[in-house]
Amino acid sequence: MMNLLDASEPTGWQGNLQLEFEHRNGETILSRSLMQAPLKIQRSFYSEGKGVCHGVMLHTAGGIVGGDRLSSQILLHPNAQVCLTTAAATKVYGSDQESNQAIHVQVAENAGLEWLPQETILFDGARYRQSVRVDLEAGATWLGWDMTRLGRSARGERFLSGEWRSHLEVWQAGQLLWVDPQWLLGGSEMLLSAHGLSGCAVVGSFGFVGREVSAEFVAAVRSLLSFEENSRELPAAEMGATRLMNGFLCRYRGHSTTEARQRFIQVWDLLRKHYLGRSPCLPRVWQR
Amino acid sequence: MTIRNLEIQTDVGKARSLLALLQFVSPALPVGAYSYSEGVETLVQKGKVKDLATLEYWLQQELKYGAISVEAIALLRAYTCVENDDRTGLKYWNEWLSAFRETEEIRRQSWQMGRSLTRLLIDLQPLLQPAITACEEHCNFTVAFAIAADHWQIDPQTALLGYLYSWAANLANAGVRLIPLGQTQGQQLLLNLYPVLERTATTAMNANNDSLKNCGWGLAIASMQHETLYSRLFRS
Repeated sequence: MMNLLDASEPTGWQGNLQLEFEHRNGETILSRSLMQAPLKIQRSFYSEGKGVCHGVMLHTAGGIVGGDRLSSQILLHPNAQVCLTTAAATKVYGSDQESNQAIHVQVAENAGLEWLPQETILFDGARYRQSVRVDLEAGATWLGWDMTRLGRSARGERFLSGEWRSHLEVWQAGQLLWVDPQWLLGGSEMLLSAHGLSGCAVVGSFGFVGREVSAEFVAAVRSLLSFEENSRELPAAEMGATRLMNGFLCRYRGHSTTEARQRFIQVWDLLRKHYLGRSPCLPRVWQR
Repeated sequence: MTIRNLEIQTDVGKARSLLALLQFVSPALPVGAYSYSEGVETLVQKGKVKDLATLEYWLQQELKYGAISVEAIALLRAYTCVENDDRTGLKYWNEWLSAFRETEEIRRQSWQMGRSLTRLLIDLQPLLQPAITACEEHCNFTVAFAIAADHWQIDPQTALLGYLYSWAANLANAGVRLIPLGQTQGQQLLLNLYPVLERTATTAMNANNDSLKNCGWGLAIASMQHETLYSRLFRS
């Protein structure tokens, strides 16, 4: 297994969050939690009945700076159904030092995690790595999205230096089903070339693993993904959808986290109906 | 055995491995590479690739930062596993490559070409069966190529250069047919790519597993969109 965290001297926050969820008598509860600043979780809420536990994670320090090392371990026991999000966007400030965040998710038989964090904003000069490893048992599902904005583009800021790495692995019953090792280098041609970001400041991925997804479902998603050619000088936003092994993937490349979020929410609604047998139920932090 | 005889044998060995390389990177290798464009067909239809310069720049970006640069490292890892008879490692890297394929079309392409090559290899050299069996149901083309390269004693760097060359030659040919470009332009394109092909191979030779990283949003989206392109000549 690859170790994405090197062992150099830590100088920033060493936040840690450990969460365990159990399903008892038709109810999913947060049965164990351990929090180390600046990571916290708010009290669970049940906006769609007792079966699905909704949780909101917090980063209380307001942003990530160089040297910060954050880690989370999330464990879902059999049949637990959990929807997690974050209270605010994750801001990563410019620094000479790298910061990183490692998340390990384990989902037991017939349990399901929906992982819907708000976007990550990389300020110019940010050096950031995130690594997510998901281990699913048979019958378990994982659904997750990830949106990243390069620089505060609304303020005309660009990602002229710095580096973003994002390594995702999803395993089920010991088999690697999806590996997504992403990389962006500040100020490089990959930000402007058609092959890379084509001048877009926002990228997003929406993945789902744990069920064989039908071609009809992918076709239905595609009908949600078209964009008008815009009249501005910016290249049009684009999206695509495809099947993963035992799953589904959708990518966004555009200019607006709001737009990415709206599209992903539509895909999420459809996916919930088809594969999780649930109606849409938008976490409160997203309702704005 | 005299020194002279040894030299002759070494030369024969070199010639053999060169011939094997030429055979396995030839467009005549019956794996159907010519039917895949890896997103180029979408890009041409959308006007993003429209001439020699835009196709060359696209392929350069892919070689520097894209999936093919990661595949290059995975090819070397698979080669080392075959060399050391490490079937568990070989199975891991094959599985890794399948999981790394960003779209269904590109995954199917890799598996179909892998299946064609492994069937051929088993007919040509039944001794290769155990390595191929280690890859289970779907052997990626990259891994099948590594198995062949090791068996015919093509050294890893040469094998990798050959692999990258055959990839580039195939997409240059797709460009010639789709844009369209003249045959001379197609050949010029390949010549222009030599420095970046060399660089990608050298970078991969020096890479560790932390270098398995890529940026190819344009390719991912083009490939996803290709799956529903209105009129298609190519299978990816």
